[in-house]
Amino acid sequence: MIDPVALLTHMLDIPSVSTQEAHLARFLVAQMSRLGFESFVDDAGNAVGIAGSGPDIVLLGHIDTVAGHVPVRVEGGRLYGRGAVDAKGPFAAFICAAARLAGSKALPGRLVLIGAVEEEAASSKGAKYAVTRYNPVACVIGEPSGWDRLTLGYKGRLLVDGIWKQPAAHSAGREPSAAERAVACWNAIVDHCTAYNDGRARLFDQLLPSLRAIRSWSDGLTEQAEWTVGVRLPPAISPDTLATTITGLAHGGMLQFHDLCPAYQAEKNTPLVRAFLKGIRVAGGHPGFVLKTGTSDMNVVGPVWQCPILAYGPGDSNLDHTPDEHVVIEEFLRAIDVLAIALRSLEEQDAGGGGARA
Amino acid sequence: MNATCPECDAEITLPAGTVEGEILTCPDCAAELEVISLDPPELALAPQVGEDWGE
Repeated sequence: MIDPVALLTHMLDIPSVSTQEAHLARFLVAQMSRLGFESFVDDAGNAVGIAGSGPDIVLLGHIDTVAGHVPVRVEGGRLYGRGAVDAKGPFAAFICAAARLAGSKALPGRLVLIGAVEEEAASSKGAKYAVTRYNPVACVIGEPSGWDRLTLGYKGRLLVDGIWKQPAAHSAGREPSAAERAVACWNAIVDHCTAYNDGRARLFDQLLPSLRAIRSWSDGLTEQAEWTVGVRLPPAISPDTLATTITGLAHGGMLQFHDLCPAYQAEKNTPLVRAFLKGIRVAGGHPGFVLKTGTSDMNVVGPVWQCPILAYGPGDSNLDHTPDEHVVIEEFLRAIDVLAIALRSLEEQDAGGGGARA
Repeated sequence: MNATCPECDAEITLPAGTVEGEILTCPDCAAELEVISLDPPELALAPQVGEDWGE
């Protein structure tokens, strides 16, 4: 038997900021080996555990975190630590649910647990590696949805680095400064997004711009301004389309686009969703669906695998990346119950017979 | 196999092969409905789609 709280506590005790996940990956491989899973660290650095046989059902979490130490502790039934919700808690829940099913010989197929690296980095290294290695009939992404909700979609993302450079001029001159042109470009992007969003009530359907960083300076001969802008994208706007639009708003700047990631929204009438709806109801909840303003590894694997997919995990995603990051232990344990019920139910629905691809 | 729409009380014939957890649309009021039971047939309003920040 595995102690879920002890497992998660140990995971939180091992720092694993993006690109520095090796220690935690080795720990998880050892834990999954003890449970009888075929376990290894793959070539990307992902911690992988495999149990059962039949069609692949991938449980894809991530084991990296953003920076910022949150002291690991239990207070008032809450387990604190960096990654408690995003997303060591969900991956710990995957391991515990899989262990429970393996122990009762109720695996719905070949469960492939992947603790991916670099989800918090724009590289998405772990998921980009995994997407080439498996072809599952169903996939669960390990991210905090709350124990009684299912995440069905994530917005896309586009990052832009802009540089405005020109000969220095007197501030009383007629030409706009580099800083003014940089701000004008930002304002034009905001105006474009505001116009697009008019009449679109859902955040998921809107263009959401954010100014990540800005600075300007002069050495007396040349003046320069730089900024980084991020835009969260709805499914209706591709990153390439938005990049073309923004290029036309550059105000003479040099723009470099990166981290182009389209939005992804999963189908909700699938055997996988049905299994989780049942799991939540059996566990005493009233299920809900949710669409997220951020991105996740669903954006990477969803378009390629084209299989039933959702994101699930304990925790409040509003605590992601905050100094107050914690998961309520009771919720964490209940999410394990939901996962176990749902995955067992998936077996009853014959995931291996192609039903999960409906 | 028939069930009643909880939104508009329309009587809905469940298609052959309907399974628990399936989401249907009421032909009368267009409400999205979840099949929460087959024996006896029972429908509930399907989970609402909310939004949240994060990830």
